[in-house]
Amino acid sequence: MKRTLAYLSLLFILGVLLYVANPDYGLKFGPGGKEWLSLRYTDDYYIQHGVQEVGGTNIVTDIVFDYRGYDTLGEATVLFTAIAGAVALLRPWRRDER
Amino acid sequence: MNCRGDDMGVIVRTAARATIPLIGIFGAYIVAHGHLTPGGGFQGGATIAGAGILFLLAFGLEEMKKRYNKSLYSVLEGIGGLTFLGAAMLGIGVAFFYNTLWHNGPFFNGKPGTLLSAGFLPIMNLAVGLKVFIGLVSALTWIALYRRWRE
Repeated sequence: MKRTLAYLSLLFILGVLLYVANPDYGLKFGPGGKEWLSLRYTDDYYIQHGVQEVGGTNIVTDIVFDYRGYDTLGEATVLFTAIAGAVALLRPWRRDER
Repeated sequence: MNCRGDDMGVIVRTAARATIPLIGIFGAYIVAHGHLTPGGGFQGGATIAGAGILFLLAFGLEEMKKRYNKSLYSVLEGIGGLTFLGAAMLGIGVAFFYNTLWHNGPFFNGKPGTLLSAGFLPIMNLAVGLKVFIGLVSALTWIALYRRWRE
């Protein structure tokens, strides 16, 4: 009974997702078509000028390492801090030694 | 007697011995071609770290302890972070994170799409890949080393 209910709910979620993701009558996330360029000109700028200004043909790397370099610097710092914190918390404490 | 110590047996060890070099080569490819194809430093470093974690799982903690050099890994992580910062500092005359190697540098300024292009992007990819690999492997090794259950 429980198992049937679980499968039915999975089927229901799949149906809802199929309906929502349909481009014809589903949800629309933001404007599409020509209106897109007037509102999201930053994307268009990266696509047009990324290769010429930064040089990499992988636009995501261009954005991550050049246009948004500070973000990557912070991300590397977060990784370093997370590992330092993990090591500091996981090493044997004075309480464990007795 | 197939199991020695805390490894996962001869089957897993043989499979890991065959697959670890392939995973490493694939990760190195992702890091080296980070400015040309999908991927980059973080993704390739995580892939190589997957090879290291597979080594830790398949061969056990005792074998990993022999290979893991704490001071060397600390130095390598520092070198990765400092190389990233140094590559960002190269164009400090114009701005922080200015890609001066690509615009008027002596090297790494080939045609877009070739391996030696895109200025500091390959250097940064290598640095971040090294940093992520060292970081993830170190984190997993420390977690395995200092676990507090089953004892």
